[in-house]
Amino acid sequence: MHPFSLTKAANTREALNAGRKGGRYIAGGTTLVDLMRETVERPETLVDISDLPLREVSVTERGGLRIGALVSMAESAAHPKVRSLFPVVSEALELSASAQLRNMATIGGNIMQRTRCTYFRDVTADCNKREPGSGCAALHGFNRMHAILGASDVCVATHPSDVAVAFAALEATVHLLGPDGERTVPFADFLLRPGNTPNREQALRKGELITAVEIPALPRPLKSGYLKVRDRQSYEFALTSAAVALHIRSGVIREAKVAAGGVGTVPWKLPAVEKHLVGERPSESLWAAAAERAADGARPLDHNRFKVALLKRTVERQLRIVGGTK
Amino acid sequence: MSPQPQAAVGVPLSRVDGRLKVTGKARYAAEFDVDGVVHAVIVDASIGRGRITGVDTRDAEAHPGVLRVIHHGNAPKLPYRDNPGSNNLPGRRLRVFQDDKVLFHGQPVAVVVATTLEAAQHGASLVKVRYEAEQPSTDLAEAKAGEPTEYARGDAEAGLRDSAVRMDLTYRMARNHHNPMETHATIARWDGNKLTVWDKTQWVVGTQTELSTVFDVPLDSVRVINPFVGGAFGSGLRCWPHTVVAALAAREMKRPVKVVLTRKQMYFGTGFRPRYEYRLSLGSDRRGRLKATVHEIDAETSSYETFEEAIMLAGQMFYSTPNVSQAYRKVPLDVNSPIWMRGPGFANASFAIESAMDELAHRLRVDPIELRLRNEPAEDESNNLPWSTRRLRECYTVGAREFGWHRHNPKPRARRDGDWLVGLGMAAAVYDPNNMEAHARARLNADGTAVVEAAASDMGPGTYTSQTQVAADALGLTMRAVTFRLGDSLYPQTPPHGGSMTMMCVGSANLDACNKIRRQAIKLAVEDEASPLYGAKAEDIVVRSGRLHVQGNPARGETYQRLLTRNNLTHLEADGSWSGPQDPERHSYYSYGAVFTEVGVDAALGLVRVRRMLGVYDCGRIVSPKLADSQALGGMVGGIGQALLEHTVTDHRDGRIVNADLAGYLVPVNADIPEIKAIYLEGEDMQADPLGVKGVGEIVQVGVASAIANAVFNATGRRIRELPITAEALL
Repeated sequence: MHPFSLTKAANTREALNAGRKGGRYIAGGTTLVDLMRETVERPETLVDISDLPLREVSVTERGGLRIGALVSMAESAAHPKVRSLFPVVSEALELSASAQLRNMATIGGNIMQRTRCTYFRDVTADCNKREPGSGCAALHGFNRMHAILGASDVCVATHPSDVAVAFAALEATVHLLGPDGERTVPFADFLLRPGNTPNREQALRKGELITAVEIPALPRPLKSGYLKVRDRQSYEFALTSAAVALHIRSGVIREAKVAAGGVGTVPWKLPAVEKHLVGERPSESLWAAAAERAADGARPLDHNRFKVALLKRTVERQLRIVGGTK
Repeated sequence: MSPQPQAAVGVPLSRVDGRLKVTGKARYAAEFDVDGVVHAVIVDASIGRGRITGVDTRDAEAHPGVLRVIHHGNAPKLPYRDNPGSNNLPGRRLRVFQDDKVLFHGQPVAVVVATTLEAAQHGASLVKVRYEAEQPSTDLAEAKAGEPTEYARGDAEAGLRDSAVRMDLTYRMARNHHNPMETHATIARWDGNKLTVWDKTQWVVGTQTELSTVFDVPLDSVRVINPFVGGAFGSGLRCWPHTVVAALAAREMKRPVKVVLTRKQMYFGTGFRPRYEYRLSLGSDRRGRLKATVHEIDAETSSYETFEEAIMLAGQMFYSTPNVSQAYRKVPLDVNSPIWMRGPGFANASFAIESAMDELAHRLRVDPIELRLRNEPAEDESNNLPWSTRRLRECYTVGAREFGWHRHNPKPRARRDGDWLVGLGMAAAVYDPNNMEAHARARLNADGTAVVEAAASDMGPGTYTSQTQVAADALGLTMRAVTFRLGDSLYPQTPPHGGSMTMMCVGSANLDACNKIRRQAIKLAVEDEASPLYGAKAEDIVVRSGRLHVQGNPARGETYQRLLTRNNLTHLEADGSWSGPQDPERHSYYSYGAVFTEVGVDAALGLVRVRRMLGVYDCGRIVSPKLADSQALGGMVGGIGQALLEHTVTDHRDGRIVNADLAGYLVPVNADIPEIKAIYLEGEDMQADPLGVKGVGEIVQVGVASAIANAVFNATGRRIRELPITAEALL
């Protein structure tokens, strides 16, 4: 670990001041400290923001949900409003990491977490994300866990978060506070595809702080859920995952929100699948036909060809679990 | 055993050291407080093969707290005398910092010594090593094999040709790492020419001999201490380079030095179960009786040492087969040397052989147990020796009954539970318990307590507890009155703590020492006019709870305490020993088992989940049933890992291990472990040793992977011949 200084922000103003001077925000630290130990991250100054008043979960006026950036994964998952309004969020959180990590890690930190690409995490390997221009060892290396969607020739790393997949599906927005004041960014624009700048992962300006994630209101009744396919049954990242929310009225799907995880360089929204569903009546054949579009545009690598089929099946299965068969 | 009543042996007792462990008072290698200790962090080679062209230590040495950087350019030349009595492998062992050559990715190339761990870690990241890299060869499938170790009986090729049924099958098994919870660690301290080392090891004597030969100092000037081991599974069976690094740095610094490997360094700083390709041809008659088997086995080894394990034995002795030929080729690669891992040899051989038997059973439409029974040998056909005990039939019978094997439908895909296809599978298991000379020393004090010492180890199976049980019964003392000490090279010598031999070898030596003391005490009593036992026949006397008395007449007797005090003796002492195998052997000794499992396979998503598992074992006497049960559960969990998850992945472009941590190398978690149960057949094998034991710790991982693969076939109709069984193989 490289030497660093640590300051604790007593309030938002202090945090923003420190952030403006280049301080890195730290809350639960479950990703950042790991990466500092591996010397992948070498911040000079850490700004502990855990005292900031960002720990609230509240229902918005229109019936959406606002989750403060410092609410822990465990608290978010267990929150009665999250559970009742958006089970897909609770399920995605509960299927993440381990109980210990969920107690420490925050919602803001979760969507900021960095890829699990082993070459990114090994400072002796080439990685354009860690060291722009050095090359991508994963492209022709061991890439079983890597992305089949949204990758470029310079980076094929997946975004590892589960709850971000739920947020992407539900078209959440990220609330930011910076030196120039507040703004909101749609989730789809917040996490960036690698393109030629894989080192740039979020649409954050210097010193900006995530204050909350807001899930917009959706028509009720809404059924939702998260399916995670992984090698072992707990404490493991997804091979593939699917977040599904369906609003079905009078036997017809009126709204469909679908995204996939474990397959994209960012949580992968599936508009083609959604479009296929809306206006249709739930059936096994509908789920299969819609899921057939889940891997559109997929570009598999040497060790993850299986993900193309697995992704479709994961989406199909989760559509059935959430939407039923009739 | 002895004429003594069994009050402790065979009783399901809890660990005598359990309290120390759960309260954090058990001290592991890295936890010893050694005055003036400084910290060392090893710099690992970042190329897979080549040479070091320069080491720039300026930034590291400028960092506050860094005391020195040692590398091949400034390290002293070490004698590295041969060490034939050790677990070193044939070849030329890795010599730390002795030249500029890099033999594998991760090889230690420098060490940073600093006053704090943090300074040493940061210093290590500041050392700049320049290399001239060459293309390493790390792929078993691409590299050229060395000369094979061969075995043959009969004419296997002809046997295959003449067989009514012939199958040619190739099985592949991934490289596995032990991944014990405790990472390897060493503290080394020199006092003049005397070296004391606290080292995580399964064999303090092995580390002692290695350090003595590496530094060319007398054996008795090296002392190795290791009272507790936080799991090892074989990773502690030899002295690794980092232990030498610690001792080397301590000598250079003239201060005690501590080295703790990181989890990542465990993947190239210690050994591993090598990757295998096992090509098996078998021929049988139409009833499934084997006529011939041909085993072509390729396994990884390093470029500098040749690792061998007992991969061939199962193919020679397990099933009656008139014609057998085997070729076991070690393929030298630019990797660090492998080492034995739980169920060594057998756990891999059984995946091939027991999967193949399942394939044969399916092809012939014979029940898998029935097929195995048709091939039961009357004797060990590899050496024509009779079995000491072989209760495999009973393992099948008991297992089939307890597991409900009658529900096994030989037709694949016959049972469904929602999205899950459900299948049953079974496999037989065998392990050859190792057998080597061992010693122990016992001392009975005048206060009625006793201490037994042996340089043994307890990596988790419960050596402390089970050896105390043996000693307590042999001495006729309560468990509380007996202390068993291990993990110090000053104690009487024992073999490595592995190969399922600790109870047989150390236990027999312990029993011998304690029996001697009890007999001394009895002799003293019956010859002592002042004793109530004066004139009694020695063989009629037993000892219970520290009191000697005539069998059947408890009133006539006295305590050890009274006897020794009256005779002005502070203690009685005896050395015990176990001489190892008989020469020539008169029997063939093996532990046996049968593993049954039920799996669910979500064929659409490629998921395999073990639903329940049962192991039935013939291991001779079970000294410590509660701990033996834990051993079996742990072994089966290890088998589930081997079957479904564990896979060390090498990037063959530069020899780097790409999943060198517990996030990348998956072991089972609680959620993966269903109802698992072990049954040990009651009994003893008195041909094997005086305790009647055959060893427990290794066999319990054998057969698990094949039982799971066979159950996956039964569930899905898909035969997976490669471990681990992952989603992509099933989709």
